[in-house]
Amino acid sequence: MKFCVCIKQVPDVQATVQTGRMVLNAYDASAVEEALVLNEPTGDPVDLVLVGGPGATETIRKALAMGATGATHLVTEDATDSHAVALLLSDHFSQADYDVILTGKQSQDSDAGLAGSMLAARLNLPYATNAVGLAIEGEKLIVTRQGDVGQEVIALETPCVVTCSNDMNNPRIPALKGIMAAKRKPITTVEATLPEPRTVVGATMDPPSREPGVKLEGEPEEMVADLVRRLDAEAGVI
Amino acid sequence: MSSILVFCSVQENRIKRSSLEVMSRARQLATENGLSLGAAILGSHASSLVSEATAHGASQVFTVSDPVLDAHVNAPVIAALEGILTTVQPRLMVAASTESVKDVLGALAVRTDAAVLPDVASFDLAGDSVVCERPVMAAKKLAATHTTHPLVFVSVRSGSYEASEAPVDGEEVAVPFHFDPATLGATLKEIVTQAGDTVDLSEARVVVAAGRGVRDEAGRALVQQLADITGAAIGASRAVVETGLFPATAQIGQTGKVVSPDLYFAIGISGAVQHTAGMANSRIIVAINKDPDAPIFDVATYGLVGDCFTILPLLNAALREAMA
Amino acid sequence: MEEKFDCIIVGGGIAGLSAAMTLARADARFLVIERGEFCGAKNVSGGVLWGSDLARLVPEYWNDEAGFERYVSHRRLTFMDEQSAFSVDFKSDHFGETPYTGVTVLRAVFDAWLAGKVQEAIDASAHPDESFLATDILVEEVIQEDGRVTGIRAGDEVFHSDCVIIAEGVNNLLTRQIGLEKEYVPGDHVAVGVKEVLKLDAARLQDRFQLNGRSGLTNEFVGACSDGVEGGGFLYTNKDSISLGLVLGMNDLRDKGKTPYDVLNGFKAHPVIADMIRDAETVEYSAHVVSTGDIKGMPSEIYGDGVMIAGEAAHLLLNAGKAIQGMDYAMRSGILAAETAIEAKKSQDFSAAMLGNYRKALENSYVLQDMRSFQDAVHLLHRQEMFSTVPDLICDFGRQFFTVKSEPTPKASAMMRAAIKRHASYWDLVKLGFKGATAL
Ligand SMILES: Cc1cc2nc3c(=O)[nH]c(=O)nc-3n(C[C@H](O)[C@H](O)[C@H](O)COP(=O)(O)OP(=O)(O)OC[C@H]3O[C@@H](n4cnc5c(N)ncnc54)[C@H](O)[C@@H]3O)c2cc1C
Ligand SMILES: Cc1cc2nc3c(=O)[nH]c(=O)nc-3n(C[C@H](O)[C@H](O)[C@H](O)COP(=O)(O)OP(=O)(O)OC[C@H]3O[C@@H](n4cnc5c(N)ncnc54)[C@H](O)[C@@H]3O)c2cc1C
Ligand SMILES: Nc1ncnc2c1ncn2[C@@H]1O[C@H](COP(=O)(O)O)[C@@H](O)[C@H]1O
Repeated sequence: MKFCVCIKQVPDVQATVQTGRMVLNAYDASAVEEALVLNEPTGDPVDLVLVGGPGATETIRKALAMGATGATHLVTEDATDSHAVALLLSDHFSQADYDVILTGKQSQDSDAGLAGSMLAARLNLPYATNAVGLAIEGEKLIVTRQGDVGQEVIALETPCVVTCSNDMNNPRIPALKGIMAAKRKPITTVEATLPEPRTVVGATMDPPSREPGVKLEGEPEEMVADLVRRLDAEAGVI
Repeated sequence: MSSILVFCSVQENRIKRSSLEVMSRARQLATENGLSLGAAILGSHASSLVSEATAHGASQVFTVSDPVLDAHVNAPVIAALEGILTTVQPRLMVAASTESVKDVLGALAVRTDAAVLPDVASFDLAGDSVVCERPVMAAKKLAATHTTHPLVFVSVRSGSYEASEAPVDGEEVAVPFHFDPATLGATLKEIVTQAGDTVDLSEARVVVAAGRGVRDEAGRALVQQLADITGAAIGASRAVVETGLFPATAQIGQTGKVVSPDLYFAIGISGAVQHTAGMANSRIIVAINKDPDAPIFDVATYGLVGDCFTILPLLNAALREAMA
Repeated sequence: MEEKFDCIIVGGGIAGLSAAMTLARADARFLVIERGEFCGAKNVSGGVLWGSDLARLVPEYWNDEAGFERYVSHRRLTFMDEQSAFSVDFKSDHFGETPYTGVTVLRAVFDAWLAGKVQEAIDASAHPDESFLATDILVEEVIQEDGRVTGIRAGDEVFHSDCVIIAEGVNNLLTRQIGLEKEYVPGDHVAVGVKEVLKLDAARLQDRFQLNGRSGLTNEFVGACSDGVEGGGFLYTNKDSISLGLVLGMNDLRDKGKTPYDVLNGFKAHPVIADMIRDAETVEYSAHVVSTGDIKGMPSEIYGDGVMIAGEAAHLLLNAGKAIQGMDYAMRSGILAAETAIEAKKSQDFSAAMLGNYRKALENSYVLQDMRSFQDAVHLLHRQEMFSTVPDLICDFGRQFFTVKSEPTPKASAMMRAAIKRHASYWDLVKLGFKGATAL
């Protein structure tokens, strides 16, 4: 099956000191990994598409180094609004012919979780979100998705869109040969204009800080006794 | 008169507490802004839940009772909500941020030409704007976000507001619905649940969460005991879900669920940002970890440095006595 | 297709990236391999990059908002006892002129920035698709054929090159593997560096340390900071954080049964330091081995057939009390190794005889000249008196000198004699003073 994975460059949320470093969205890395594994037996292509600034090439190369076939870079300023991204992506896909479009279940930085299903609705394709497993069965894609309770196994007709959880797999780390090969893989760049966003991000602030806690002292028995007393008398939760 | 519509999530034939939390906030905003409050309930038992919605202040309860809505696929849910939205034409549709809500919001927004403020910690109406605060960067930051779009959907993290009753004389409005199953494009094959899967974590007042430090069956048994004694739901970190010791439904954090119980036990959990993103709003956090420098202690109300295999048996005994 | 590179560089730290930049400018085909997820990922700490070589690698880097934190305009050396601090303090507008003589850096930021510049240089070179900067890959072996280094192995991938520059840092496993370094480096040739990065809002930081714009302070400490353990402390200001740390003798730590972490906590609790870091929040802690700068710690040789060793892998570092110079040495040695490789390529001769020019260039540079001429200072610094008696004495003197009592005040010279009597024999001190004067 022909796969295309939508990938996004996001700031490294794990960094403690603000390094400004940008990385491949972890959820998208899982989507790339899954597509590569599914297409390994047939050698069918796994393409990529990214909407973002010129600096995002590094992230595209990273995903190409994992083994993807080729990529399209829709060059815009960095996008913050899922609606605007989905519009651009749907334009891109309306001229392409893929069996499966994968996205991450959410962006690691904005945690919106919308672009995938917005894209599906724009393309009028069946979709599933929060996939933790994928399998190909004839012309169908079998999606295991994490629901509120338990996991739902859904057969999707192709073409379709699936948003992927990072619980799906552990993305491979590109080997040297992959990194070298990636340099020679085609990246089609297309100048694009980001559509008007529907939501506007204003100030960002620190979340309300928690009251500083206490580390209980002493032997395990003493700590436990102290804890139980505090849970009762101080916190009133038992 | 314009209105606020609350899309209620249903589980085990009850409206989820997280939906009632959102309803309470919506009611307050409706009152402040002179809007009416409606509720939307889907599923074959929708009508039986109307009274619960009116007890929380919804004056009109829009129902769609087609059994196709019980099938855990998104297309009919989107179609039903689209029907309701066309009927109601609200200013705002709000919902609890559950997996099934997240599943449909984006597509529904495209179908109905709405703007979405997803997974917010708080929201408000300000003139012709809908404003909210959303945790971003794995909840390390809060981003003030707004939209002036005429139709807005908001999904709200569980525990952001208190649920409260405010009975009104509401009415049920059954919304006509026709869905052609041939257009589905998706079929549910099965639902796989594991033991312990059914307890809804985001509803629990007490959560006992296990991490990689709870390394084996013996550890799991100790955690289970603590949960039984405290009437808690069991949560888990990604690392320990990966080992198969706990079901994926129990995962708490950026990928998993967001919880904010009164009491949260983090046992053998290091406290990576992606985990704390899902639990840092718990009222009291107890952390048990043998590494005194584990970042979980930065958010813990009470920290116990030590081996959970030593501490849990003592704690279980002490709590059993204290709670007896 | 098996490609052969002109050069493979192991390690994307300062030495490796400096070599890479030099090679890219010369249109060489090369591969830099860094085991960290990105350049800088494994080098959480940072410090002051002294000297002006950075301007050679990245001309007018000071016009770039990113990269370095602050330029050093204010230097201070502090002697401390339990309660007091006596400082020698120098501040000059002169330091604000470019090229700066020192800039503070956070390695996770700086190395990644420098790597970006290297990538730009590759893209602008004659072979943009034939040179690579690869991260997240561990080189496990340097391949030798008939005593000649011919390439590297990472996992099950093997790559060949005319020469290899090993820039793997102080923990030089590969250098040992090819027999240029002894299997075990004696404990007295390495120290432990521990460091914290403490966040403090830029405006408060500037107020607190009297900085403006991008000017910054470096402060070294001797005495009670190290809790009786051989070594010293440092505090550097970054854009919106403080780097605070200690370099402690490995053997002395072990002998005194102390952990670096505890000594650092003691340092942070010292009243002088506590005032400087108040309300700053620790966001990063790291511990790392660091060379003592003893020239005897250097590998038996820093080149061989097809191979050169650069940076701290070659134990190139100077710590003679007034500053740690490891990064600038890494930078210069990386540049010189790459220049040697470029010369070697012209003659297609990568033999030890040819690559020995690297050593010659290093001997002629300030790197080995300074390391040689300041060896006595390095040794002096490791004497017990330097981190106990001397700082105690100086502080004792300072306390009397600056105390105003409503009674007759003795002359400073008398105070000094009294302080010396309490802390050291006069004779010992004369010897030490003499040593110090000749060493520096
Ligand atoms: C995009 C993304 C999303 C993610 N989403 C999530 C998410 O939703 N939820 C989540 O949890 N993680 C998530 N993660 C993973 C997260 O980064 C951490 O890897 C994970 O939370 C670690 O789980 P842990 O604390 O159980 O394991 P570890 O980090 O291995 O910590 C185990 C802890 O147990 C302690 N310990 C060990 N033995 C004992 C003992 N006998 N007694 C007491 N203490 C002991 C150790 O000191 C240690 O602190 C995500 C990661 C990414 C990249
Ligand atoms: C606490 C502390 C404070 C310091 N303060 C200062 C200061 O203020 N000023 C100063 O000039 N110096 C300072 N130094 C010293 C300075 O950090 C080093 O001298 C300098 O980093 C050496 O640079 P390098 O490139 O040789 O090695 P490194 O910076 O150590 O880089 C080596 C790189 O090689 C990589 N690597 C290693 N092995 C492999 C492998 N097998 N495969 C792939 N990659 C590999 C590593 O991940 C690393 O990125 C300090 C050191 C410490 C510990
Ligand atoms: N700028 C972008 N370029 C390509 N895909 C994107 C972009 N932004 C979001 N996506 C895709 O949409 C998913 C997340 O959607 P959202 O959380 O709504 O931003 C990501 O995991 C990507 O697969």
